[in-house]
Amino acid sequence: MCASVKYNIRGPALIPRMKTKHRIYYITLFSIVLLGLIATGMFQFWPHSIESSNDWNVEKRSVRDVPVVRLPADSPIPERGDLSCRMHTCFDVYRCGFNPKNKIKVYIYALKKYVDDFGVPVSNTISREYNELLTAISDSDYYTDDISRACLFVPSIDVLNQNTLRIKETAQALAQLSRWDRGTNHLLFNMLPGGPPDYNTALDVPRDRALLAGGGFSTWTYRQGYDVSIPVYSPLSAEVDLPEKGPGPRRYFLLSSQVGLHPEYREDVEALQVKHGESVLVLDKCTNLSEGVLSVRKRCHKHQVFDYPQVLQEATFCVVLRGAQLGQAVLSDVLQAGCVPVVIADSYILPFSEVLDWKRASVVVPEEKMSDVYSILQSIPQRQIEEMQRQARWFWEAYFQSIKAIALATLQIINDRIYPYAAISYEEWNDPPAVKWGSVSNPLFLPLIPPQSQGFTAIVLTYDRVESLFRVITEVSKVPSLSKLLVVWNNQNKNPPEDSLWPKIRVPLKVVRTAENKLSNRFFPYDEIETEAVLAIDDDIIMLTSDELQFGYEVWREFPDRLVGYPGRLHLWDHEMNKWKYESEWTNEVSMVLTGAAFYHKYFNYLYTYKMPGDIKNWVDAHMNCEDIAMNFLVANVTGKAVIKVTPRKKFKCPECTAIDGLSLDQTHMVERSECINKFASVFGTMPLKVVEHRADPVLYKDDFPEKLKSFPNIGSL
Amino acid sequence: MQSWRRKSVWLALSASWLLLVLLGGFSLLRLALPPRPRPRAPQGWPRWLDADLLQSFSQPGELPEDAAQPPRAPHGGSCNWGSCFDTSKCRGDGLKVFVYPAAGPISETHRKILASIEDSRFHTFSPAGACLLLLLSLDAQTGECSSMPLQWNRGRNHLVLRLHPASCPRTFQLGQAMVAEASPTVDSFRAGFDVALPFLPEAHPLRGGAPGQLRQHSPQRGVALLALEEERGGWRTAGSNSSACPWDGRCEQDPGPGQTQRWEMLPNATFCLISGHRPQAASRFLQALQAGCIPVLLSPRWELPFSEVIDWTKAAIIADERLLLQVLAALQEMSPAQVLALRQQTQFLWDAYFSSVEKVIHTTLEVIQDRIFGTSAHPSLLWNSPPGALLALSTFSTSPQDFPFYHLQQGSRPEGRFSALIWVGASGQPPLKLIQAVAGSQHCAQILVLWSNERPLPSRWTETAVPLTVIDGCRKVSDRFFPYSTIRTDAILSLDARSSLSTSEVDFAFVVWQSFPERMVGFLTSSHFWDEAHGGWGYTAERTNEFSMVLTMAAFYHRYYHTLFTHSLPKALRTLADEAPTCVDVLMNFLVAAVTKLPPIKVPYGKQRQEAAPLVPGGPDTGPKLQAPDPNCINQIAAAFGHMPLRSSRLRLDPVLFKDPVSVQRKKYRSLEKP
Repeated sequence: MCASVKYNIRGPALIPRMKTKHRIYYITLFSIVLLGLIATGMFQFWPHSIESSNDWNVEKRSVRDVPVVRLPADSPIPERGDLSCRMHTCFDVYRCGFNPKNKIKVYIYALKKYVDDFGVPVSNTISREYNELLTAISDSDYYTDDISRACLFVPSIDVLNQNTLRIKETAQALAQLSRWDRGTNHLLFNMLPGGPPDYNTALDVPRDRALLAGGGFSTWTYRQGYDVSIPVYSPLSAEVDLPEKGPGPRRYFLLSSQVGLHPEYREDVEALQVKHGESVLVLDKCTNLSEGVLSVRKRCHKHQVFDYPQVLQEATFCVVLRGAQLGQAVLSDVLQAGCVPVVIADSYILPFSEVLDWKRASVVVPEEKMSDVYSILQSIPQRQIEEMQRQARWFWEAYFQSIKAIALATLQIINDRIYPYAAISYEEWNDPPAVKWGSVSNPLFLPLIPPQSQGFTAIVLTYDRVESLFRVITEVSKVPSLSKLLVVWNNQNKNPPEDSLWPKIRVPLKVVRTAENKLSNRFFPYDEIETEAVLAIDDDIIMLTSDELQFGYEVWREFPDRLVGYPGRLHLWDHEMNKWKYESEWTNEVSMVLTGAAFYHKYFNYLYTYKMPGDIKNWVDAHMNCEDIAMNFLVANVTGKAVIKVTPRKKFKCPECTAIDGLSLDQTHMVERSECINKFASVFGTMPLKVVEHRADPVLYKDDFPEKLKSFPNIGSL
Repeated sequence: MQSWRRKSVWLALSASWLLLVLLGGFSLLRLALPPRPRPRAPQGWPRWLDADLLQSFSQPGELPEDAAQPPRAPHGGSCNWGSCFDTSKCRGDGLKVFVYPAAGPISETHRKILASIEDSRFHTFSPAGACLLLLLSLDAQTGECSSMPLQWNRGRNHLVLRLHPASCPRTFQLGQAMVAEASPTVDSFRAGFDVALPFLPEAHPLRGGAPGQLRQHSPQRGVALLALEEERGGWRTAGSNSSACPWDGRCEQDPGPGQTQRWEMLPNATFCLISGHRPQAASRFLQALQAGCIPVLLSPRWELPFSEVIDWTKAAIIADERLLLQVLAALQEMSPAQVLALRQQTQFLWDAYFSSVEKVIHTTLEVIQDRIFGTSAHPSLLWNSPPGALLALSTFSTSPQDFPFYHLQQGSRPEGRFSALIWVGASGQPPLKLIQAVAGSQHCAQILVLWSNERPLPSRWTETAVPLTVIDGCRKVSDRFFPYSTIRTDAILSLDARSSLSTSEVDFAFVVWQSFPERMVGFLTSSHFWDEAHGGWGYTAERTNEFSMVLTMAAFYHRYYHTLFTHSLPKALRTLADEAPTCVDVLMNFLVAAVTKLPPIKVPYGKQRQEAAPLVPGGPDTGPKLQAPDPNCINQIAAAFGHMPLRSSRLRLDPVLFKDPVSVQRKKYRSLEKP
């Protein structure tokens, strides 16, 4: 109250004291400014939405407003599909040209509404699924809006279901597309081909050379390597959420859930039920459902009502019989339920059969063997059934689940044909994520013992210990299988000694200078390395005998995909600290070898330099430590195999060499090494190292046998 | 006072103006000036306003309620597996093959192929019991052609095998017969029904065959990137500059002398460019495989051999000839990992399926057997990774984890337990001490005693911690490698009653075996050598610096090798082993080496110093002395294999601290070192 009084007193006091002329002037000015401010404020908030609503109007039109194209009755019709088409005869690959990303470019024609001379539409303009499909393509990396750069053209004329279109007029509509050119490089998607009474297994619309991604191909209409067989999309995939059910025995062994089966087939499946009783369930559509219940989602057996597709999860095997069409949407439902489809449709080309291995997820039974289905299925071992159940669900998740998945898989298949050297492998298509994660594909999988004659290249990493380096060079050069010696000069401030000062050895000696003093230089894939076998050796490893090194090389020949080294080390799980620990004590196990002297395949140099995961390489260079642990991790991770420790050699430095403060130095060293293991394990996301209890010795090592008859007598010092 | 007020008012005013200009100016500017064209984002497929209202492509009730008579596909004279092959005849014992005897005199090759099929497990002598009738049409030169056979029946369940293309004019209608021929054209090939064979040269070895040429995993430095096939035969390596030459014969007008290599020579390059037009090029395809030169096939018009089961994308690049320049650029930039994988796969495929006529024929039969087996056929992994489907029998299992070869790919591990299989031969003494030693191992799951002599079975056995089963064998040495159903673990420790082992030896050997489940891990060894004097192979059990065989009297190996021994070896070899018992060791080692292509593994054996040769035949308690190594045996086996699969090793796997000067308390396998 007080304040308002004060205000009332002071408020008027300000203005009345001015001259009236000024007062009006000021008030006007104020109101103008105020108005301006308000207007500006509004402008700040409004204009954007006005603008974007303009964009919005441009993009988000209604399907009903698309331009209408009138097709004269006598406009040209493409020729019928050519059954002899192959990629190299009917596909113009030049349009795909060079593409650094090895991705085809796909253009989508603008949506039009086609009408005949009388204004009667040729078909539904576009279905929900086809719109989804084109959206998926448009959102993908394949899409281009530049028609001149496109390699593949997708008409927006919807031919997913042949029954919703007029064949001749649709063909005419195709023929007048701007880049039609006999259908070359055009891709049509069709899921429901054919029509009564004879139901062709491929789209009846004449389409000349166009590729057809069709659901329900038979061996007679499918052009192997040209067409793509796709699934018939089931709308239930999106409507119903069936949580994954673990594999294992289920209530029914065999289930038939299809409605509208031909009576002949229905008799056959019902005969199965009569013969095998409870374990077979044959469902049909319900006749006595109350109003308002969706009949699509119910199935009945006698008077028992089942929910569909949930009931599919109760069965181990589900019958997928041919209907009028070969391709059935029920296949998708069955896979979604993790039920193994029993496909009984002779000559049916299963979806994506070009890349998917259906033997792993389904059982195909010839129609005439239908009565034997039960015994055929029973002969499958339980483990294989579980594998198939898992595989079925995975196929659904990856390739059936959505229109988008179907569209992208189709484009990927065509892409792989055009850029075969960048194609996706069988494993990537078929292995479920769990298998992909657990499996290791050894890059050196061929069992092969390289010839001894090839020899090895020794790589000595050195900084400035020239004297010791020269001793190492002299020692290593005595090894019979040495074929080349490479010195990596890691000191940028000092030049390597002159040529004349180097020891004279019987094999070529090369010095490479590095740009930076980094530990990872030792694992660089130098051009100078000509042999497969590489011996990485430090410039102070003078204690290894020629016998030890030669034997190490022999062992590497028998295990060319492994790290073969001398002193072994172990990683242990520290239960107190809950982390990994580095161990160099006398143990009965090894999981790493030191690379102060180790043989390995030169391919691992390439992997170390270019494919090391995460920031491990930088970490190693920054800490100037643990490059050997990193190499051990890398090799074990990529090959899935353990290292080979050779000979009893325990450490490289002589025990008395450690200085007075050796102990504490040793301890910080151990802590650092443990830290490396933990760091690397977290980068790899797993602990790849493998623990073994063996080492390799010469056959007659420490045997009671004349020493002079042994091949490698000079082995055994620690 | 007034000026103060005026000033403040002016200040407020100008501040407001400033605000107005700042805020509004830009907007006005934007209105006044037309916006500059922004870099155009690709205009995608429009988001339709009424997208949610669109109809689905198929209405639930739309599908015909009751389909008319289910349409049968028009056969059009063409055949597919379902319509033209009657699998009901193959029920029971799988694929049984009857081979039509040749009408007239036959060539040596023909005779050998017949013999090889007759030796295989598929063969039957009765055409009535056969599910596949094989019509050989082999000889290219003699022009020998078969006439219509007796049991022809419109060709149903017949396979016409033509090793060399167009060797015979078609004297009769093939009807429903399958055709296995070399490099069929893509258009005539009936996928899933016919079988595509490789194009074999005339002089292709019948058995064994030359091993792949690959000596190292990665391409040698300095080796040419590309080899081109010459029209006259042979290969021409192309430098990086000539790789841009438009290939197709146009550049080959002047190959220049010296550039052309001899016809027999295999290409020495990383990639081999092969035309897809001429079927003869298909023979080049095989050469490239053998040489480990990655075939780059340009728009092949012929079907690749065994394309039904072999995933050629893992070993070759099948590209479009019209994009040659892009292909060449892609080859140059291909990652080392990819080159490495492709190269190794060429070698594996060559060795597994193509290196001999016998392998080609067996692969053909295996492909057809897989079709008959349906769900129990070889999974793709078994066909496409070493050792290949001929050596990984699908009758053993269809789960890759059950085999010793695929643990890495499957992310699985071999089982942690083993079964000891003790063979009691002529001596007839129950090996009680041995049973105790073996049963003492923590990894031992069961002990099986295979009683294989004339004496009656002892009624009492020692009490053991693990189940003990006695099998009454049929007195044959090859019994030792029979796949007894009672063996329930992956690992088998094969023992002879006369062997003596300690528990810690068994433990250590088993731990080693777990790291090498596909190999044999043994204690005592012998090695083979080429005997110049006799011009044949020999072998010795003497201790040397290397070895190539381990004695199966004490060895760990995978249970699968019993199946392989019994079901895949030719009958003649098993008979040989029965007749000369020392041969059985050699035979088993040959078998495992042929599969793994690697030497076995030796682990330390402690008793060596006590007895000069404890396991070697002739110990104190043996009855009849076993024969000394029989060179005949190894030569016969080598002849049957067609090559020498044994590999030598120069190492022994010891425990990490074996005989190290460190307290024995630290050592896990300390009793191994007891003098």
